[in-house]
Amino acid sequence: MSTPRHHVVIGSGVAGNQAAETLRQRDPESRVTMITVSKLPFFNRYDLPRVFRGERDWRKFVIYPAEYYLDNRIALRRATKVVNVDGARRTLTLEHNETVRFDTLLVASGASAYMPAELAEYQPLMHGFGAFRDAIAAADALPKDGHVILMGGDTIGLDLGRTLLDVGYRVTVIAEKHTFWPHEIKAEERPLYIEALAKMGFEVIDGHARGEIAAVRAGAPGLAPRRVVFHDGSEIHGDIVMPFFGVAPALDFMLGSGVDIERGLLVQPSLRTTNEAIYAAGDVCQIWSDADKRYHFYHGWKNVRAMGELAARNITGADEPWVPIQDESLQLSADGRIRSPFWEYA
Amino acid sequence: MSVVVNLKDAPPGSVAGIEVAYSDDPRDSGWVAKNIPCQHACPAGTNIPAYIRAIAEGRHGDAYEINREANVLPGVLGRICSRPCESACRHGWPGNGEPVGICNLKRTAADMKHAGHRITEKLYSPTGKRVAIVGAGPAGVAAAHDLSVLGHDVTLFEREGHPGGMLRYGIPAFRLPRDILEVELHNALRLGVELRLGEGIGKGTATPVARLLQDYDAVLLTAGCMAPLPLPLEGEWKNRDPADVCADIEHGLPFLMALHRDEKKAVRKRVAVVGAGFTALDCARVASRLGAQEVIIHIRTAEEYIPVTKEEIFEAKREGVRIRGLRTPVGIELDADGRLTGVRFVQNRLGGWRDGGRRQAIPIPGSEFIEPCDTLLIAIGQKTVNDFLDIPVELDRWQNVRIGENGMTSVKGLFAAGDYVTGPTTVIEAIGRGRQGAARVDTWLMGHPRRRKVVRIMPVAGPLRERAFDFIGRQEMPTEPPNERIRSRTLEVETGLSTETSHEEAKRCYLCNLNYQIDVDRCIYCRACIEVAPRACIKLVEGVDMEADGSYGKLREAKEWNRVGAIWIDNNECIRCGACFKVCPVKCISITRNEFVEVDQP
Repeated sequence: MSTPRHHVVIGSGVAGNQAAETLRQRDPESRVTMITVSKLPFFNRYDLPRVFRGERDWRKFVIYPAEYYLDNRIALRRATKVVNVDGARRTLTLEHNETVRFDTLLVASGASAYMPAELAEYQPLMHGFGAFRDAIAAADALPKDGHVILMGGDTIGLDLGRTLLDVGYRVTVIAEKHTFWPHEIKAEERPLYIEALAKMGFEVIDGHARGEIAAVRAGAPGLAPRRVVFHDGSEIHGDIVMPFFGVAPALDFMLGSGVDIERGLLVQPSLRTTNEAIYAAGDVCQIWSDADKRYHFYHGWKNVRAMGELAARNITGADEPWVPIQDESLQLSADGRIRSPFWEYA
Repeated sequence: MSVVVNLKDAPPGSVAGIEVAYSDDPRDSGWVAKNIPCQHACPAGTNIPAYIRAIAEGRHGDAYEINREANVLPGVLGRICSRPCESACRHGWPGNGEPVGICNLKRTAADMKHAGHRITEKLYSPTGKRVAIVGAGPAGVAAAHDLSVLGHDVTLFEREGHPGGMLRYGIPAFRLPRDILEVELHNALRLGVELRLGEGIGKGTATPVARLLQDYDAVLLTAGCMAPLPLPLEGEWKNRDPADVCADIEHGLPFLMALHRDEKKAVRKRVAVVGAGFTALDCARVASRLGAQEVIIHIRTAEEYIPVTKEEIFEAKREGVRIRGLRTPVGIELDADGRLTGVRFVQNRLGGWRDGGRRQAIPIPGSEFIEPCDTLLIAIGQKTVNDFLDIPVELDRWQNVRIGENGMTSVKGLFAAGDYVTGPTTVIEAIGRGRQGAARVDTWLMGHPRRRKVVRIMPVAGPLRERAFDFIGRQEMPTEPPNERIRSRTLEVETGLSTETSHEEAKRCYLCNLNYQIDVDRCIYCRACIEVAPRACIKLVEGVDMEADGSYGKLREAKEWNRVGAIWIDNNECIRCGACFKVCPVKCISITRNEFVEVDQP
C-alpha cells in the first residue's frame, strides 16, 4: 500500500479554500494540510466593511464551520507562520522550527497592503484593513460621525469608503497614482472618475498637486488625532488614516525556495512555478500570458477562486491553462457613480 | 608542524598564562576556512568574530585595529561594503534568524573609537626599494599602505585631483561622507607615501610607463575599471552609443564622476536608469536629489537577484525610486528635435543561475514595449582601459592585463592588481586584491615572502556568549527622514548605531572562531550535552570522513548504540551557545579560539 500524497496549501483565503476543496474531491485518499497565519478560519474579507455597520461577532464572518474541515479531512493549522520553503527537498519550515514535508505545495498566501517605502515609518500612526482585528481596531478608533482619511484609494479602500459614507462618516480620499488600483484608467478619463468619487460623497484631495504625501503625524492638542502632511507644506486632519495603495504579494517565505520570483511568484498558465511540485494561485502569483507575452497579476475574488480550483486540478493530473473569468474594467454608471466588478461579491 | 609559544598578555576571555599554539597545519587552516564563514567570504579576510567580540567588550579602538589589519579603510567600508560576509553569516542560515549586522558594526568600530585613538602599524625597516603605483583607488591605496609598511619607498600616481578613485568619484556623499574618506585615506598614506595628484601615466603624458620602469624597482598598475560598458541595442541602434546622439542620455559612471568633480549636472522630470548594480542605484538616488519627479530603475531579472544589498534597495525606494524587472532595453525613442521620449524594452523571462546568486534573463521575441522617460542613465557596468599603456603588455581575452602567479605582467617589474586585472568587482575585493598585489611585489623585490598566515590556537576559559543572546533581534540602522535627504543632497542617509544598539548587535555574533571539542577519552556518554543542545549539533558518530586537506569532514552518524565510535560536536551546526560546556559533569568539553594571524616568515 502506497503512502497517500501530502498536499500542502499555504493560505486560507478564497484561493486556498477552493483549492483544498478541489484537492479533496479529486484525490480522496490524500492528506491535505492548510496553513495560515490567520487566527480565524476562512472568513470573507470582502465583507469586512460590515464591521463599521456594527457587526463585530467574528463568527458571523466565518464561511465554513470547524466541522467542515473535519468532515473533509483538511488539517487546518491556524496562527501558523511558514518561514522557509525548500523546493528541492520539498519541505517547509514553520516559525517554531517544525519541518513539514509535502508532495505538492500550493502557495495561496495572497497579498498584504502595499506600503510605499517612503511612508513605511509612519505605519504605526495608520490603521490597516487586512485582517478582522485591523477592522475592529479602526472601527474602535473612529468616533461617531468621525472623519476617515483614505490615502491612495484603491478599490478595496473605495469599497470601504462606500460603506463609511453610507453609515454617516466623513471620508476624504487623497488621490494619487494608486487610486482605483488595480484598474488601469487612461489619463484623459481620470478626471471623470475623480469627479464621480465626489458625486458619491467622497471629499477628494489631489495628492499630486500638493507634491504628494510627505508624512503622517499625530494631531496636536485641540486638533483631530491624525494629520497628513504634504510636501507643499499643507496638511489635512482626520480621526483615522488608512493606507490603500494596492497590495503586494505575501511571499517573503518563498525567497530562497528556488522558485522564480519577480514581484510575485512567476507561474506558467498552468499555475505551476519553476518547481514542478509547487503551484501558486491568487494575488501572490504573476501568470504568464502567451497572448501579450507578459506576466500578469489577476485580482478579484472570482478570478482568485478560479485560480485555486485550476491549481488544484492541475496538481491532481489535469493540464489546463488559466483563463481569466472576471472583467477588470472600471465603469461609470448612468447616474455618474463608479462601478467596479471587484465590488460585486454579494 | 605546530609552534608553541608562551603568552604573556592574554587577551580578555582567554586563560592568562596559558600556552598558545601557532599552527601552519593545513587541517587547522582548513577548520578556520570552513567554520568561520564570514571571514572566509570576506575578500580581504577580515577577522570579523574578533572585532565584533572587541565591540561587545567596549574595545572599539581594538576593533578598529583588527579591521585595519585586513582593510585600511574600516570607516569607509563600514558604510559602503557590499557585505559578502553577511550573506555567509551562520546566524542567517535557515532556522537561525537574520545575519549579524557585520558592516554596521564595522562602522561602529570606526565611529566610536576614542577621539585620541592611535593607529598602530607594525613597521619594517627601510629596504631602499622604490615602487610606483598607478591609480589611487581602493586597490592602489591598500597596496601603497602595505608596501610602505614593508619599508619600501612608494610613489602613488593619480590622474584626478584627489585620491580615492571610485570611492570619491563614483560613490555619492550621502552614502560616504567625504570627511570620513579624507581621514582614512590620509591615515593609509601617511607612512611616507608620495602622492602625486593630477598626474596621468602612459601615452600622451610626461610620464610613460617605460619611464616608470626605469626609475622604480617595481611598478604596480591599479588603474581600476573606469570605462562604462556600452548599452547593446538592436535595430537602428545596433553598435551605436545613444549617449553620443542625445544629450538626455548619459552613462552613469561619467555622470557621477562629473558630479563629484563639482560640475553642474541636471536631469529632467522622468528619469530611467538601466542597470542593476550599486552604480545604477546611486544614479537613481542622485537623480531624485536633483529634482526628478519619477525615477525608475529597469532591470533584466528581478530585485531578488541583483547584486546590491536589500538595505540599499529599501532606502532607494523610500526616496521614491521604483524598480521594474524582467526587461532588457533594445532601442531608444527620440522626438523630432532629438530629445528622448522613451526607451524600448523587450520582456524577459528568468533563465538559469549565474555566479553569485544572479539569474540569466532570456528575452521573449515579439514582446517589445515602450517606457516613456526624458532622461536615461546607463549603468550596466564598467570595463578596463588599456590604451594608456605605452609598452606592449599581454592581455587576456577580456582585454584585461594578464598576470602570472607572482602578480607580474608579461613585462619584468610591471605588476598589476585590483579591478584593473579582474574587471569590475566591489570595493572590499579591490582592497583585498590590492593587498595581495603588494605582497607579491614585496616578495619579488625581496626574493622571498616576508609574511605568512598561520592559525593561532588559544584556549578560552569558558563560553563567551549566553544562550539568551540568540534571541536578540537584528538591530536596524537608523536613517535620516527621506525629505531631509532629498533637501540636503549630501546628508549622510545612515546615522549609525547607538552605543546600546551596537552592543546588542555585537552580542548576536556566534563567535564562530571558537572551536568546541569533546575529549572522548574523558566523556562518560551521559548525553547531558545532547539534551541541552538547542540544535542537532552534538552527534553520536560511527566515524568522521577526512577532507583533502586532512581536516575533519562529513560526520557519519551512528543509528545504534553499539555502533557509536565517538561523541562529536558538529562545528557546522554549533552556534557556540555554550550550553553543552556548562552542563558537562566531567568538564570534558574544551574551547579554543582559532584564528588566522600574519607572522613574519622565519
